[in-house]
Amino acid sequence: MAGTESRGRAERRSAGELESEVLAALWATERPLTPAEIQAEVDGALAYNTVHTILKRLYDKGLVLRDAAGRRGAYRPAKNAAQLTAEAMHEALDRGPDPIAALQQFVTGLSPEEERALRELLAGGGA
Amino acid sequence: MIFDVYGPLVLSLLLALVGPVIARRVAPALAAPVLASAAVLTATATTWSLVLLAAALLGDAPPVIREAREAGRPVMDPVPEVIGLGASAALLVVAVRLHRAVRAERSTRRVLRRLCAGQPADTELIVAASAVPQAFAIPGRPGRILVTSAMLSALAPAERRVLLAHERAHLTYRHGALVTAVTLAAAANPLLRPVRAAVAFLVERWADERAAALVGDRRATARALARAALTAGRARRACALGFTDRAVTRRIAALHTTPPPRLWTAAAAVLALGTLPALLAADATGDLMGLLSGALS
Repeated sequence: MAGTESRGRAERRSAGELESEVLAALWATERPLTPAEIQAEVDGALAYNTVHTILKRLYDKGLVLRDAAGRRGAYRPAKNAAQLTAEAMHEALDRGPDPIAALQQFVTGLSPEEERALRELLAGGGA
Repeated sequence: MIFDVYGPLVLSLLLALVGPVIARRVAPALAAPVLASAAVLTATATTWSLVLLAAALLGDAPPVIREAREAGRPVMDPVPEVIGLGASAALLVVAVRLHRAVRAERSTRRVLRRLCAGQPADTELIVAASAVPQAFAIPGRPGRILVTSAMLSALAPAERRVLLAHERAHLTYRHGALVTAVTLAAAANPLLRPVRAAVAFLVERWADERAAALVGDRRATARALARAALTAGRARRACALGFTDRAVTRRIAALHTTPPPRLWTAAAAVLALGTLPALLAADATGDLMGLLSGALS
């Protein structure tokens, strides 16, 4: 029952959203991932074929590479565009706090006491 | 006329006091647009009031007075000259502040466009290969989400889903436009700065609530926020940016309670509070036109 529910949720996500999640999963780790591993990372309820389709699309866009040296069928993220983006971002950050600080950042700074509280939350919260 | 022109100033103080309270009590998806609209209306009204006060100086212009005397009408001075001059100066300050705010906004847009350069057109997620943990939404068509590799590798799969859902909510509900509007309002009327801060906080809360609804777990959403904040905090201390407004802690605390209700009455009251200055300013405009046309005809 829970399985079909989460499957329903997975299917409601658009192709673009799933692309983001697959790409995020590939960037989150150092090692190349096989479609099966990606499927487990992103959402176990996602159809294996869907993962393949998404990987193919990301590959066509040049955002992921097939890992020729390592395991067959594994993918890793392409670094070129990401490095250019990082350079542009660092340049913006160096120039002053203004441009990036004006954005809605996911998180802002913490005081030491807040940091302690959050650590406790993560340690005590469990899964 | 007198109350009509000074009323908007008093009312903007009231809005600045009410804003933070509404931000705590009302569902963010309702409170954010309502506060932003009220702020924009109020800022427009206060700026227009300054225009009216400055324009009233025209009533003191020698030709106007001479004509009025010749026509045998009493010369009415609705606004002391000092106040008229003060309003003109204030208007100048408002113009400069607005100009600066628009320029800052433009420069941010330019930076953001550069971050998207070299990325495929139809891709939502842009990854920056950077050791600085960072994540933000880039409004536009299409809207994008920029996350650094450092942030992605610090989060668990479920937490990454929260992050993406949060940033996606910013894009879907056009939070960027809302914050820009209220930023310009606060530039035109500095009394509204607390409202700007309230709206900036509310759009984060709004995105948190959307993410929590999508992943179906408020506590998991809170944990994702905590992990991201700790990751970003570590890196940021290194660049000596000790600033904190306790925003993350407040957002996490809010996720540990039930979502705030959609208090329509409170929202309506805030909207009324925003509309009132506009009505007063409109009324004052009528008064001034009557005054000037009476003197000039």
